[in-house]
Amino acid sequence: MPLDRRDFLKYSALAVAATSGMPGFLARAATQATGQKTLVVIQLTGGNDGLNTLIPYSNGAYYAARPTIAIPKKDVLTLGPDLGMHPSLKPLMGLWDAGQLAWMENIGYPNPNRSHFASMAIWHTADPTQAQAEGWIGRIAEKIGDPFCASNIGSSTPQALRAAEFSLPSIDAVDNFQVKLPAGLEGAFGAMLDAPRSGEADYLVRATRQMMSNTQKVQANVGKYKAGATYPEGKFATQLKDAARLIASGTGQRILYVSLGGFDTHAGQRGEQDELLATLASGLAAFQTDLERQGVAERVVVMGFSEFGRRVAENDSAGTDHGQGSVMFALGKGVKGGIHGDSPDLEDLSLGDIKYKQDFRGVYAGALTGWLGLNARDILGGDFKGPQWLA
Amino acid sequence: MTLTPYSRPLTAEDAAHLLRRTSFGATDAQIRVLVGSDARTVARTLLSFDDAVAPNNPFDPAQAAAPGAGLQLIRARWLFEMLYGPHPLRERLTLLWSNHFVVGTDKVKNVPALTEYLSVLRKHAATPSFSAFALDVARTPAMLRYLDNDQNRNGKPNENFSRELLELFTTGIGNYTEDDVKEGARALSGWTFTGGRGNQKYLEASKFVFNPKQHDNGRKTYLGKTGNLTGEDVLALAAGHPATAVFVARKLHRAFVADAPAEAAVKGSAETFARTGGNIRAVLEELLSSEAFYASRAAVIRGPVDFIAAAVRSFGSPKMEPKQLLNLVQTAGRMGQLLLQPDTVKGWDGGREWINDTTLLGRMQLAAALSLGANAPTLDTPPTPLALLGTERAATAAALNGLSAKQRTYLMLISPEFQLA
Repeated sequence: MPLDRRDFLKYSALAVAATSGMPGFLARAATQATGQKTLVVIQLTGGNDGLNTLIPYSNGAYYAARPTIAIPKKDVLTLGPDLGMHPSLKPLMGLWDAGQLAWMENIGYPNPNRSHFASMAIWHTADPTQAQAEGWIGRIAEKIGDPFCASNIGSSTPQALRAAEFSLPSIDAVDNFQVKLPAGLEGAFGAMLDAPRSGEADYLVRATRQMMSNTQKVQANVGKYKAGATYPEGKFATQLKDAARLIASGTGQRILYVSLGGFDTHAGQRGEQDELLATLASGLAAFQTDLERQGVAERVVVMGFSEFGRRVAENDSAGTDHGQGSVMFALGKGVKGGIHGDSPDLEDLSLGDIKYKQDFRGVYAGALTGWLGLNARDILGGDFKGPQWLA
Repeated sequence: MTLTPYSRPLTAEDAAHLLRRTSFGATDAQIRVLVGSDARTVARTLLSFDDAVAPNNPFDPAQAAAPGAGLQLIRARWLFEMLYGPHPLRERLTLLWSNHFVVGTDKVKNVPALTEYLSVLRKHAATPSFSAFALDVARTPAMLRYLDNDQNRNGKPNENFSRELLELFTTGIGNYTEDDVKEGARALSGWTFTGGRGNQKYLEASKFVFNPKQHDNGRKTYLGKTGNLTGEDVLALAAGHPATAVFVARKLHRAFVADAPAEAAVKGSAETFARTGGNIRAVLEELLSSEAFYASRAAVIRGPVDFIAAAVRSFGSPKMEPKQLLNLVQTAGRMGQLLLQPDTVKGWDGGREWINDTTLLGRMQLAAALSLGANAPTLDTPPTPLALLGTERAATAAALNGLSAKQRTYLMLISPEFQLA
């Protein structure tokens, strides 16, 4: 008999708490109501160049700063009088035309950090002071008391999904996400896990038990899914397909996290970024089509970010170095399409970079409060105003 | 303050602890040979490795028929050395340094460049001079390419290498300014390489060159020093900075003592680093024979490569088919550690980050393949709890009663005790 989500949480949380001393918040999971809406976070790792993503094509300063790598005006996909998209993003034009694609301009945070790792940690923890070790999604898990409220699709868990005591699940491939214990060892395996332990050994036992309950949950549901779109080749699209599969089969995560890397374009940027943006756009377009066919498009939005933008002026390697402010995007039927924010000011720069005008935590706050129905203040540790990017 | 030496003769569990940390793992017999030895003498012996390599390594990247095959062969050749080589500590250190001075095969695919990079890491594995090591690795075409210094020219700097030199290779963040990054890039301008460019030339050798025409000869101020600084000056200043001693000492403690090392002990090693002018061998000899080292058991979560090498070496390094070894390279990748290709230039953080649902499943599958699988290596003597778990009194031991030898091996490999060093 398949368990429904509520039964499952009750069962697994109680079992886990009773047998392994999992943190108390897990035991509360069964009492929490769960929402129907899902947020899909897309991370563009390496520092995506916002200026060549959403292009200020009517601004002469843009072309002056980038004699080699600027996107010629004739190639820009026009969205308005000042801004347009990189031609590789063409698969997203249908969503734009339908009012389901939002761009947010000049996004950043106070005292910008140009280190990949420091800046990524700031986005992951939603804490520019870098005092917090827990991720913003990990904190959601703690607040709502659900150890399965979010999953990363991939093989290593980003800091965003780390809670104080453990990490939220990483699912590399849904089909392989199951325990196959060799016959005759169930009893010995249980006895081995039951032995008293402390420190890192205890951590490994708790992680193993949590993994066992997560895999049971996923496998109980995912058989129902049949893809409703043809996804492009490649890891990113395959991961989006797994995300669609988890959503459509009702495994119950509120947040799914997918990453696309390679945006650190210090040299030969055009070739590299053009290809990455094409991968991004073709994957997301297929994902959105699939969600429509599954009948779940109403309850999913996608929110995308990168740890920073890049220097306005190109370097001598036909690339760009680390910068500050950049763009975010969101798409889906729940999104208020359009451009939120002004075209970047290329005359008033900070150390050669675009100044941020909108705090990314305001965008997160919209997702938390407006989409997931959570208290953003509790999770972000403050009130952050941002663009009204949800419909 | 230096570290307090460990003064007692080694017990079997002490020796097992030492070998799981320094040699990936060892057989029961290899462990017992060290019982009664003096900690300092053993540490010195372990560190006195030469350049001998495993005989009959079946993998030769110079024979690769395509760039992708070249990378696989480089990884497999290295894994073979870890599993069968005469100096596992040298390979353990090479792995550590490849996760410090990171280059990634997402960008660097040239076979001779990667081979040379690895040989520089091996040569300096327990270097008497961290400064000389940093300079040598900075000039490898692999690093010049990976962090774009080959594109760094007078008047048109590329800051990538200059930034990571400070942030990740020497002082760590918080010890330099954005101006230091910019000035460092000016001083490093003109360092590039010839040959071996482009995917088609993946077997062509490349060589460091200094191009004076593209070097910025002006005055620069870097980490508080002003003058007509060169790339060599910048490497020496960064490597010799006081913060570098602490930063590198913490890396060594994370590899050999604990995922969350005690800062007081790190400081002890940092002082030894500073006092000896960055002598890594001296720092390690002291560290590997210290109270702090022997007091910290089961405190390092083994990474995927360590997991594999630990299993195979604890089995007594049985013969495996080249195809199986190539598969192990890929398996390590699926568990989160594809050799020479961490996700970013920061390298793998390790510790609890090795562990998530997917990687735990991968470890269980790998353990089954190595113990119960149809192609599992044939063992003359099954590995003992001392070899696999590091102790004969492990919590897991009671669960093993009544199982076959292969089942016992499987269960021990997936136990928390095996997964920790």
